Amino acid sequence: MRRRPGIGGLQKAAAARDQYRLLGENVAKLRTDMMKEQLATFKSQLEEFARKHKNDIRKNPAFRAQFHEMCAKVGVDPLASNKGFWAELLGIGDFYYELGVQIIEVCMLTRSLNGGLISLQELCSHLRQRRKKDREAVTEDDCLRAISKLKVLGSGFEVITIGKKKLVRSVPTELNKDHNQILELAQGQGFVTVEEVQRRLSWSSGRVIDALDTLLEEGLAMIDNGNKDGICQYWFPCVSSVYSFVGSDT
Amino acid sequence: MAGESTIGPDGLFHNAEVTTSGRPVLRRNEVECFLLSSVDLDSEDDPPRFASLRSGNLILTTHRLIWIPSSSQSNASLPPSSLPLASVTHIFSHKKSIKSMFHSPRIRFQVDSVVVVTIVFRGKGDFDGFLTKFWECWRGRAWEEDEKRESEASGSGTGAGTVAQGLYGNDGTVRMVGLAGILRKEQEQWESTDKSLQDAFQDLNALMSKAKEMVSLAEKMRQKLLSAPSSSQNGSGDDEEMGSKEEMQQWMLSVGIISPVTKESAGALYHQELSRQLADFVRIPLEQAGGMISLTDMYYHFNRARGTELISPDDLWQACTLWEKFDVPVMLRKFDSGVKVIQNKSHSDEEVMSRIRTLVTKTETLRTGVTASDAALTLKIAPAMAKEHLLSAETKGLLCRDMSPDGLRFYFNLFHEFDLTNLHFVKDFGTYGEWVKATTLLSV
Repeated sequence: MRRRPGIGGLQKAAAARDQYRLLGENVAKLRTDMMKEQLATFKSQLEEFARKHKNDIRKNPAFRAQFHEMCAKVGVDPLASNKGFWAELLGIGDFYYELGVQIIEVCMLTRSLNGGLISLQELCSHLRQRRKKDREAVTEDDCLRAISKLKVLGSGFEVITIGKKKLVRSVPTELNKDHNQILELAQGQGFVTVEEVQRRLSWSSGRVIDALDTLLEEGLAMIDNGNKDGICQYWFPCVSSVYSFVGSDT
Repeated sequence: MAGESTIGPDGLFHNAEVTTSGRPVLRRNEVECFLLSSVDLDSEDDPPRFASLRSGNLILTTHRLIWIPSSSQSNASLPPSSLPLASVTHIFSHKKSIKSMFHSPRIRFQVDSVVVVTIVFRGKGDFDGFLTKFWECWRGRAWEEDEKRESEASGSGTGAGTVAQGLYGNDGTVRMVGLAGILRKEQEQWESTDKSLQDAFQDLNALMSKAKEMVSLAEKMRQKLLSAPSSSQNGSGDDEEMGSKEEMQQWMLSVGIISPVTKESAGALYHQELSRQLADFVRIPLEQAGGMISLTDMYYHFNRARGTELISPDDLWQACTLWEKFDVPVMLRKFDSGVKVIQNKSHSDEEVMSRIRTLVTKTETLRTGVTASDAALTLKIAPAMAKEHLLSAETKGLLCRDMSPDGLRFYFNLFHEFDLTNLHFVKDFGTYGEWVKATTLLSV
């Protein structure tokens, strides 16, 4: 556009700007329409998929896990919202959100015994007991997904790996490396002694006692002082396999 | 095989053979799927097409519906009857209505396109499960496979198909019924599902590539709409943009992309609605909990109250963050420890601080301090919240902590009362004086 001086030039420039703006808006509108169309196509494709495979997702944990992995790769979160297409059409939303509610329940009930740290295995067995009436099996993978969604609530829900086991934390207590190492050591017999920790990890006794005291304070460890040899044992309910929670029913 | 004598003028039901213990004799390949007790079978038509079968056990198999009179009744007049699923022409859907809540559950189905039979469940049982299985077995059309197999077998020698199945002898006597049969059926279903799973995976792949397209498209749109500053001059343009931003958020929500609530956008319409709903709902739990409730508890209570159509944790989070845009009496607050709570706007920290101050300056607590549980009891708040309050009081300088094997206790912070120019001067006034009085042992 040739620049012309004077009022005429200014008017022309203004007109040109307006035209570009209109064009821009039209392009935007075009994009919006295209988006709407694409969304509708996607939705109908998802509906078709749901019609054929909704049951497979509910009944087959392996397929379900694969589904989640692929969603993660693509960058969508099927559990993000109850109003998302995924939750609505595939019906998996309620499954996971309900699982989340049940996990919160189990953690609250067992907190007084294990201080807010529970092994994933134990959590799953508690859940299975509660869900005896439901026909849909709950796998560890499902629990992990439900817990990852609970993280946003801020109460410290997290899964940590100690040694061979996975533990589910439901309190904001942060555990540092020292604590983790003691927990790992405790997986052997369910308890540790000060001497054992000193020997196996080559720590000073002060460091050992510090860490054990914090674990005691937070309610994650219990002291057993009644042994014949007089040595104090520190028990950890969360990693101990001899520990069984008796008397819990819905 | 089924007897010839029938009940009713239309020959609807066949006689069913039972064992001496009252269990039905199943045919080859017939598998039992469901058992319900206290069931009536009535004729829907008037005059009734067949005599009602009252109060018996109903057994659903892959091939038939078998009704056996319960042993407690002397139903000698009504022999065990069966109805082949092959003659069922339609199963009516079960409409739940107010009336149906007071009646015993019923299922109606049509036989031979003419007669309608009603199953009345008078006992306890999983009726929905039964209905589902009924559909499955009816759709499964297992009897057609039998016919096919028989026509094949008849051409290829005797007893070819018998051993392969293994469950039933040649003469139709039963070797294993019930649980083992069902397990075997499940196994077969599993194997056939394998093939259909392959299809499922193919479909899944196709769906995922489409989803990928959606994600990149959504990203492009988001960049443009949400980050670009409002360009139009007139006011209406702003509204339009706001509307399309909302729409944008809704779309992304549908596809499954979580986008944070930004200053410019008010989030998806769904979250706005949810936000208002939550503000109303949270009033009562907040009162009960003493003015503060953790987000986790909120999720638990809200979803429990909802029952179905539960919300996701992200939904809850998004909705709560929107509160600061609306004029609601509640707010979301995050503590240093990461704990997120909902509290009343009017619930001020000052008020709690003054209550703590009153608590720790009592004679008893000057001496022994407070733990989180003591504070929870006295202040009437949840123990987790009590701990948070004590910690923030400590940060403000009101309290000091004492960690001992007894646990964590908090005391009034006396350091403020020390005279820095004369550290060893023991005051006998103020809280310092109180403390001295409280902790001095009475000497004899």
